[in-house]
Amino acid sequence: MKKWDRLAALVLFLIGSAAAWEAIKIGCGSFRMPGPGFYPFWLAVILGVVALIYFLNNLGKDPQVVALWEKGIWIRPLMAIIVMLGYGLLLDKLGFILDTFLLFLIWLLVIEREKLLTVALVSIIGTTAVYLLFTVLLQVQLPKGILF
Amino acid sequence: MNGFEGLMHGFALAITPTNLLFGFLGTLLGTMVGVLPGLGPAATISLLLPMTYALGSPITSIIMMAGIYYGGMYGGSTTSILLNIPGESASVVTCIDGYQMAKKGRAGAALGIAAIGSFVAGTVGVIGLTCIAPPLSRFALQFGPAEYASLTTLGLMLAAYLTGESIIKGLAMVILGLFLATIGLDPVTGNLRYTFGTMILQDGLDFLTLGMGIFGIGEILSNLEQKMSSQLVTTKITNIWPTVRDFAMAKWAIVRGSLVGFFVGLLPGGGAVISSMLSYAVEKKVAKNPEEFGQGAIEGVAGPESANNAAASASFIPMMTLGIPGNPAIAMIFAALMIQGVMPGPLLIKEHPDLFWGVVASMYIGNVMLLILNLPLVGMWVQLLKVPYSILAPIIVMICSIGVYSMKYNSGDVIMMFIFGVVGYILRKFQFDLGPLLLAFVLGRLLESSLSQALLISGGDFSIFFTRPISATILSCTALMILMPLFTRLIRKFRKGGSGVSA
Repeated sequence: MKKWDRLAALVLFLIGSAAAWEAIKIGCGSFRMPGPGFYPFWLAVILGVVALIYFLNNLGKDPQVVALWEKGIWIRPLMAIIVMLGYGLLLDKLGFILDTFLLFLIWLLVIEREKLLTVALVSIIGTTAVYLLFTVLLQVQLPKGILF
Repeated sequence: MNGFEGLMHGFALAITPTNLLFGFLGTLLGTMVGVLPGLGPAATISLLLPMTYALGSPITSIIMMAGIYYGGMYGGSTTSILLNIPGESASVVTCIDGYQMAKKGRAGAALGIAAIGSFVAGTVGVIGLTCIAPPLSRFALQFGPAEYASLTTLGLMLAAYLTGESIIKGLAMVILGLFLATIGLDPVTGNLRYTFGTMILQDGLDFLTLGMGIFGIGEILSNLEQKMSSQLVTTKITNIWPTVRDFAMAKWAIVRGSLVGFFVGLLPGGGAVISSMLSYAVEKKVAKNPEEFGQGAIEGVAGPESANNAAASASFIPMMTLGIPGNPAIAMIFAALMIQGVMPGPLLIKEHPDLFWGVVASMYIGNVMLLILNLPLVGMWVQLLKVPYSILAPIIVMICSIGVYSMKYNSGDVIMMFIFGVVGYILRKFQFDLGPLLLAFVLGRLLESSLSQALLISGGDFSIFFTRPISATILSCTALMILMPLFTRLIRKFRKGGSGVSA
C-alpha cells in the first residue's frame, strides 16, 4: 500500500499547489482585509503540508506488492461507469422513461449477465413502476424526450 | 416552555395522523435500508431530500428522516447476524459474534437481543436528548464567530481522528472537503472561485450531488467488484426471545453500550459507527471470559447494537443545538432542515419549539414502532435479503438520478453526481474514509464565514481565538488532541528504547 499512498500524496500535493496558484490569482488580500483567495490559499498550504507528511510517512518498501485492482476486478466497475455516463448524457435526448428502460436492460444484461427472462421482467416492471410512482403519483418533472 | 411542557406539546404534535404515518414510514424505510447491504441511512435520506419540498411541513419531513436514521441502526444487525455482511457500517462488529451465534443455531436469540438492546439504548439516547439539548443550546447562545470557528475546527479534527485508520489521510479528506465547499461564489466578496469558467459550478457544488455521488454511486461501484453471493444461514427464525440466561449475560452490556454510544454520539465527528466499535472493545475488556468473543458471545452483539442506537439519538444534540452535524447521516438531516429554511443552531429550540419537541417526541414513539417491526416481524426482513443485489444496483442508480435531477431540473447535475461517484470509488480504493470529506464540505461555509467575521471584528488579530474563554477552551482541546498521538508515539519509542537496554 505504501507505493499507492505515495502516489495519493503526490496527487494531493499537486491539487494543493494548483489551488494555491489559483488563489493567488484571485487575490489573497491581507489578514486585516482578507480577499476572496485568502481562505482557499491557506487551505491549499495546509493541504500541501499534510500531503508532504503523508508522503514522508510512507517512505520505504512495501512488505509485499499490493495491487489496487487485482486481475480483472476493474472490469465491472468500469462498465458501470460507462453505462452511467451514457445514461446521464442521453437523459435529455431520450427522455427519462426510455433512458431508464435502457439502463435496466444494459445493466442487467451486460454487467450482471442475468437470465433473459429476469432482464425483461425487471426492465419492464421497473420502468412502469417508476413511471407510475414518480410521473403519475408524485408528479416529478422528468425529461420528456422522444417517447413520453 | 419548560422541558416537560415542551415534551407533552411535542407528543401532541407527533401523534397527529400525518406525523404518525410518516414516522412509521421512516422507521420502516430505515429498517429496510439497514437490512439491505449497500444502501445506508445517509444515502437514503439524501434520496428523500427533494421530497421534503413536496411534504411542506418541516416537522413531518424531519420526523421521517430521523426515523430512517435510527431505524437503520435496528435493521443493520439482521444482515450482520444472518449473512456475515454488515447491513450498514455501524453493524460491522456485530458480524463477528452475531454470525457465530447464527451458525450455532442461535440466530433468533441474537436478533432478539439486538432489537431489545437497540430499543433500550435508543430510548436512553432520546431521554438524554430531551434533558441535555435545551440547556446546551442556551449555553451556545453566547457563541460568536470566534467560538464557531474553533468549534468547527474541533469537529473536523475529531472527524479526521476518529474515523478510518490513518489520521493524516483523514485530515487530507477534511481539507479536500473544505476546498470543494469554496467552489462558486465567495460569500464575503462575491467573487467567483474555482469555477474554471463553467456555468454549472457558479452556484457551487450541491450537497446532494456530492453526497449521493460519493456515497450512493461510489458504494455501488465498489460492490460491483465482486459478486455478492453469501448464503443466508437460515431463513426460518424461531424463538426470537432470548433466554433468561441470555438476558442476565447481556443486560450490563446493553447498559454499557448505551452509555458509550451516547457519549460518542455527542462528539462532533463521532457517531454510530465508532460507538459500536468502541463498545465491542469495552465488552471484550470487561468480559470474564474474553476468549468467548469471536465464538458467539451474546455481549458482543448486545453492546455494539445498543451503542449504535444511543449514538444515533445523541448525534441529534450537537446538530440541533450547535448547528454542527457529527456524521454523514445527521449531516443529511441538517441539509434537510436548511432546505426548509430552518437554521440548525442555538436558536432552533427557541425559534422552532414545535419542530424540536415534535421530532424528539416522535423518536420515543419511533423506538416503540421499531421494537415491534424488529421483534415479531423480523421474518419479513429476512425475506428481503433474498432480493439479489444485481437487481438493486440499477434501481439505486435510477433513484439517485431522479433525486439529483429534480433539485434543479438539470441533467448536468446527474452527470456531475456520476463523476463524484467515480471519485468516491477511487478514493475508497486508496483506502480514504469519505465521511470526513462530506462533513467538511457541509461545515466549510460556516468555517469560512465565521473565520472571516472573527478576523473582521478583531481587525486581523488572531489572538481573538485565544483570548475569548470558550473559544480558547475549545482550541486547547483541539491542540491536545493533535498532540496526543505524537506524545504516545514518543513514549512508546522511549519505552522500546528502555526495554531494549534492559534486555
